[in-house]
Amino acid sequence: MAEAKEVDKNVILLPQTNQLIGLYSIIRDQRTKRSDFVFYADRIIRLLVEEGLNQLPVEEAIIKCHGGHEYKGAKFLGKICGVSIVRAGESMEMGLRDCCRSVRIGKILIQRDEETALPKLFYEKLPDDIRDRYIFLLDPMLATGGSAMMAVEVLLSRGVKSEQIFFLNLLAAPEGIKAFHSKYPDVKIITGGIDERLDEDKYIVPGLGDFGDRYYCI
Amino acid sequence: MSPRNGGRISRVTPEGADHDRNIDDKAISKYIPPWTTPYIIGIAGNSGSGKTSISQQIIHMINQPWTILISFDNFYNPLSPEERVLAFSNNFDFDHPNSLDLDLLVATIDKLKHGGRATIPVYSFNLHNRTSKTNIIYGANVIIIEGLYALYDQRLLDMMDLKIYVDTDLDICLARRLTRDILYRGRDLPGAIKQWEKFVKPNAVKFVNPTMKNADLIIPRGLDNSIAIELMINHIKKQLALKSRNHLLHLKQLGVDMKFEVDKYNIKILADTNQVRGINSILFSENTSRSDFIFYMDRMSVLLIEVAQQFFNEYTDEIIPTGNNMSYNGLRMNQDYIAITVMQSGDTFMKSIKKCFADIKLGKLLIQSDSTTGEPQLHFESLPANINEYESKILLFDSQIISGAGAIMAIQVLLDHKVEEDDIILVCYLATEIGIRRIVNVFPKINIVIGKLSSMEPSNMWYNKEGFLDSHWHFRNRFIDTLYYGSG
Repeated sequence: MAEAKEVDKNVILLPQTNQLIGLYSIIRDQRTKRSDFVFYADRIIRLLVEEGLNQLPVEEAIIKCHGGHEYKGAKFLGKICGVSIVRAGESMEMGLRDCCRSVRIGKILIQRDEETALPKLFYEKLPDDIRDRYIFLLDPMLATGGSAMMAVEVLLSRGVKSEQIFFLNLLAAPEGIKAFHSKYPDVKIITGGIDERLDEDKYIVPGLGDFGDRYYCI
Repeated sequence: MSPRNGGRISRVTPEGADHDRNIDDKAISKYIPPWTTPYIIGIAGNSGSGKTSISQQIIHMINQPWTILISFDNFYNPLSPEERVLAFSNNFDFDHPNSLDLDLLVATIDKLKHGGRATIPVYSFNLHNRTSKTNIIYGANVIIIEGLYALYDQRLLDMMDLKIYVDTDLDICLARRLTRDILYRGRDLPGAIKQWEKFVKPNAVKFVNPTMKNADLIIPRGLDNSIAIELMINHIKKQLALKSRNHLLHLKQLGVDMKFEVDKYNIKILADTNQVRGINSILFSENTSRSDFIFYMDRMSVLLIEVAQQFFNEYTDEIIPTGNNMSYNGLRMNQDYIAITVMQSGDTFMKSIKKCFADIKLGKLLIQSDSTTGEPQLHFESLPANINEYESKILLFDSQIISGAGAIMAIQVLLDHKVEEDDIILVCYLATEIGIRRIVNVFPKINIVIGKLSSMEPSNMWYNKEGFLDSHWHFRNRFIDTLYYGSG
């Protein structure tokens, strides 16, 4: 079975199977209706979350099974917290909930400042014990990495260590990965696809369009 | 393998599905499902002799799934307009053997005997013609053929295992027939008597009575003869037990004498990641609550379904116009999927199937093991009509493969519906080696996805580092649907 590979230091790419390319073909396609876009994006998100969970450490454990048998299995270690970057990141919360029922979820709202054209933090709501948790940072697209870096900054200011953070996204631009890792090399990026480049408008090429719009609006 | 070769190759072969591998042909055994060796009983006797009552009694007493009753009543020849006029004035001879389509009946039984689908016509006595309705019958363990001329045609006699003639005095037959015709069929007395004298009795004497010599067993006095009926039923039960023992023995023998290497076949086993080990731990543990069990079984099911889609499918290259008007070298899946669950163990996948496929076609099979012998029995099948015509891959779900017998039966049902063996993907969570051996021994081209595979002997295979044995509790007991549905 195909397994996710670390293609670069702390960059984990989902196995590029025909099946995954097939799923991406659906969500990238401009002719895909919103209901299908949501359905297939959710399936990819599920795969990303499963891969993210796979990165977490486990502890060997002897499991007492029915009938008196024992099984040398594994116990999940550590607590998790999802942090979504509003609004597109919220689309990934359901996928996380499908794998971790009672997971805590924090939110960060970052928007581009009209005057400076730089990302600006508007709002944050995070669990108090966030520093003791593994963080799944949720944002479907890693383009320039601006908002993601600001989000990491917020998390670090709350006492989270960068090794505790896993950044889950569906599509990443090489420029974004580079910029992000030059600042936070210890944050693991888990992505479903790495595209060619950014265009002059900072859109990912060939990309899929505006994820938030396609998931919520169009 | 790179799935994207510059967008020029028009077809991408499924990853991992390599059907050309050398599978030793001599190793392939044949599975003989019980419905290709149905036990066939013929019951003949005159009109009013009590054939139908005795057939019902047999069905009731042997209590076997997949028992079907085929009545000669549905095999009358359609009448011409002239004949129909005669029929409506009670002047047509329905009691002569020529009024029956014996060829069609022979062909029908023959089809059923070879595990095929048979279409049974429905004859209307009001119209004196075949109706547009038909009944489709697929597979049978026991077939009871009942009619005046059940023991008349040599071709039918040759296929029967037990031939019964119900010998009731013609006076009693007449009395019963009059009661039935007048009370229940709205005839008048003169008409009923006329028909008896003109057609029923002469034909009885000339054609029906002589077939008595073809019978293995003659039951005088019909249903009133309780001793004869009891002896007959005991005999049938004994024969059925023998048949079921042979079936089981045959199933057990499959897969014993063969070389088994997982990678020789189209078998994919879930990679042993941290998460998978963690989920297994929760599903195996005796301390897990039911709500946790259901939640983690659903998670496991999604993982297995994703693996099933990862392999075994074909894609075509396609240039996709993306949301920002760029083009992307994408892939389009060539086939759809149809999901078939084996009730009720396979139904645990249902929630995850819905999660992974927006609008999938679903089918169901009910296969249960006889509680005393363990013999798998097909009780019910509901498959999408013309399942073989969609060019889809068929995902067949069963959460546990233990003896393999149920899965073999399920696969056979699909093949009988003309599905190609290599279009079937069997998806299961826990499987025993002996079960999988039996399956691939009979169906070497089938695709299988397994969550965890145990071994017959202690071994340290890559897929079974824990050294799970077939005899371990998790693999031997059907506990998944019990816990999932709380039916334990």
